[in-house]
Amino acid sequence: MESLRIPILKIGDILIASIQVNLHDASAVQFKDDLLEKIHATRAKGVIIDLTALDLVDSFIGRLIADIAAMAGLMGSRVVITGLQPAVAITLVELGLELPRVITALNLEKGLSVLQGITAESGDGAA
Amino acid sequence: MGQPKSAVIRSDLDIVIARTMARDMARALGFSAIDQARIATAVSELARNIYLYAGTGTVTVREVEKLGRKGIEIVCEDQGPGIPDIDLVMQDGYTTSRGMGMGLPGARRLMDDFSIQSQVGVGTKIVLRKWRS
Repeated sequence: MESLRIPILKIGDILIASIQVNLHDASAVQFKDDLLEKIHATRAKGVIIDLTALDLVDSFIGRLIADIAAMAGLMGSRVVITGLQPAVAITLVELGLELPRVITALNLEKGLSVLQGITAESGDGAA
Repeated sequence: MGQPKSAVIRSDLDIVIARTMARDMARALGFSAIDQARIATAVSELARNIYLYAGTGTVTVREVEKLGRKGIEIVCEDQGPGIPDIDLVMQDGYTTSRGMGMGLPGARRLMDDFSIQSQVGVGTKIVLRKWRS
């Protein structure tokens, strides 16, 4: 079964991916690989993964998100997760998956300003 | 009471089918959006355990009633290798290389009732229930 590809958009030096489908494991892993390749190819400084449309994040997807953030971090790119629904936040914490090392923001707009703040702070911003 | 619904787990796509089936029934039974997410997530964890450790198995969801209270019951059954030490796998953070150590204890926290029977070489049966508030 071919996995569904999640589109990854580039705006300036930021990548944006919005997950709109009920992810199965293979398409989630495909997304991780695609995103890391795209970070490498575009030298993006930041990535926003928007989960507004997701009504479920189980331990597999939760762990994958944490892995993506860690891997992108190793490559020098920062990941911000945006738009977690209340039910998703509640179930993640009850599952025992608080994702302490993942940066989050309420929505896409706030996620962008968080990323701009981080990249400016690290001295590789506009200068 | 509606008819029970079953999903056979053979691939990772079937995990999505099983959790969608559980969410649809939870919604039809009048569970809140947050409880629907809890129920669907618990099913996702247990269906993945079937896929990873037993290869195949079934997830069945049905409406239940006790003392005038309505609820949903989920039965996950497989004829896989079984679990040698149930206390161990119910600990937070216990994991084999393939899992991440929150499937079973996480599913128990998300639901109201949780029972597990397992015999090495025979299989595993897990029954979960959640009651409508």
